[in-house]
Amino acid sequence: MELLEADILLQLLVGGLLAGALYALLACGLNLIFGVMRVINLAHAELMLVGAFGAYVLFNIFGLHPLLSLFIIVPAIFVVGYYFQRVLIERVVERPMLTSLLATYAVSIILINIGLLIFSADFKSVPVLQGSFLVGDLVVSKPRFTAGLISLALTVAVYQFLERTRLGKAVRAVSEHAQVAQICGIDVRKIRMLTFGMAAAMAGAAGVMLSIIYSFWPGSGIDFIQKCFAIIIIGGMGNFVGAFYGGLLLGVVEAFVGGFFSTQWAEAVAYLLLVTVLLIRPTGLKGVARA
Amino acid sequence: MPEGSQRLISFWVGTVLMGLAMLAPFGVNEYYQSFLLQVFLVIALAQAWNLISGMTGYVSFGHAAFFGVGAYAGALLLTWGFPWWAAIFHGAGIAALLAVPLGFLTLRLRGPYFAIAMLGLNEVGRIVATLWVDVTKGGTGLTLSPTLLPSLDMKYFTMLGLALGATLLVAWVHRNRFGLELRAIREDEEAAEMVGVNTTRNKVTAFVLSALIPGAVGAVYAMYTSYINPSSAFDHARNIEMIVVVLFGGSGTVWGPIIGAATVMVLRELLWAQFPAAHLAALGVLLLIVVLYLPGGLVSIVRERQQNRPDARPGESP
Repeated sequence: MELLEADILLQLLVGGLLAGALYALLACGLNLIFGVMRVINLAHAELMLVGAFGAYVLFNIFGLHPLLSLFIIVPAIFVVGYYFQRVLIERVVERPMLTSLLATYAVSIILINIGLLIFSADFKSVPVLQGSFLVGDLVVSKPRFTAGLISLALTVAVYQFLERTRLGKAVRAVSEHAQVAQICGIDVRKIRMLTFGMAAAMAGAAGVMLSIIYSFWPGSGIDFIQKCFAIIIIGGMGNFVGAFYGGLLLGVVEAFVGGFFSTQWAEAVAYLLLVTVLLIRPTGLKGVARA
Repeated sequence: MPEGSQRLISFWVGTVLMGLAMLAPFGVNEYYQSFLLQVFLVIALAQAWNLISGMTGYVSFGHAAFFGVGAYAGALLLTWGFPWWAAIFHGAGIAALLAVPLGFLTLRLRGPYFAIAMLGLNEVGRIVATLWVDVTKGGTGLTLSPTLLPSLDMKYFTMLGLALGATLLVAWVHRNRFGLELRAIREDEEAAEMVGVNTTRNKVTAFVLSALIPGAVGAVYAMYTSYINPSSAFDHARNIEMIVVVLFGGSGTVWGPIIGAATVMVLRELLWAQFPAAHLAALGVLLLIVVLYLPGGLVSIVRERQQNRPDARPGESP
């Protein structure tokens, strides 16, 4: 079969890994929030779209290149997330998980529809970085390469922060056992705010990356949140590293399904994976909590 | 207020409302009749959602999928020559049949996982309806010829019947052992299991019943609009509407979804009928307020007032 030639497989693999890096960045943030406060943030993909539309606006009004607007958008969304946690999520953290599900669902509805009111339902894109380059026989698209690499770098940076710094250690401590962490003198509320801010910033960065590779509209979030759920359930809920590998895996599987069957079916892969994993292990492959 | 007289009041208020709804087509013009039909549509869907999510606490973010399945099944059967009432009947049946395996698959999962699994269901429905071009005509949609359709009055009374049926179903479940077991699952599933409640069977039964109603409503909706396509049948806004209406009115109660549906629909009509995005944003804000400040919904305000009376027994519900 011609399709099975090695360079085509390599092509799909590289494309899948690059796309997967973006998923990983998004899903790691979602998992960070879940790990630290047992809240499933249904508005996570909308936070990403805030970043994407931010890049779109900055590009169209100030002509700012998305890679530069990253330096504005990421801190801005960090601050928004930090206070968002304080004003809203903090109120539902201690309540049953369904309360926080519904609260973040409400936030996602609000964000989507404000987006629709401002930007309409047309697809937008930020057309910078076009074309591709060759590595041997391998065709690599410039925007995808850039987005994938930056996503990867950011995820690794956050991981290093969690592993190497005192503050990161505090985040992990709260994630492991909030009450004990509190007794040890960690300001759990502050850590939660920091965590949400960080996860929101990761989503915002993913949004900027999204803006240079895909076209998007305010309703694009549902596809991504679905993928994130598949990823965090495969990788284990609350497990940062698991979400990272889960993201890469989903990217690759989607690329192969898209390459051999059709891109429309690739969209359904995440859902099928999700349902399959839940069937085999109702608490996810490496779940931290039996919710 | 003693429980008996509360039931009596419920009964009479219900009867009077029902009488008014029966008479309405003779007194109002088609615009308002259409509006009422949509209110009944939302009531029926909300009660269906109430049955699974309000009673058991398993929040379904994808119930609109059953509506979409019913809409397509109804529309297709109608074009294949079935009479309209049979098309509705089968729309409900097909949605319920689909819910059986789906329920067994997803309801083994605890709350949040179920919610996650359901979130994508509507989207999957839309993808299938778009890709299965041979049957659904894909994105072009299905247009129903006017000669096949029942009159507006017929559709009106059918939708009214569905809203009534769904409400009575919830009221009935509310009173019997099955409802008690569902609420036990909501309060503490492990404890319920321990005292011998067959949780999976109960949850799946509630789920299938709650899929039956949107299936029928979807079929009537297809006849009402006489045109459906993947994005109108599998409309995510309908999920939002169901959830907000029930929580706003009072989840797990009989009257909550009715009060919620009436309030939300009147607000929509008066304030933002022309701006669907603003309508949904407003629903989002409403949901947030209810979740944060009024977890029992509007019904709980009335109930608290009653419980503050000296003659009230604590913890009783109407």
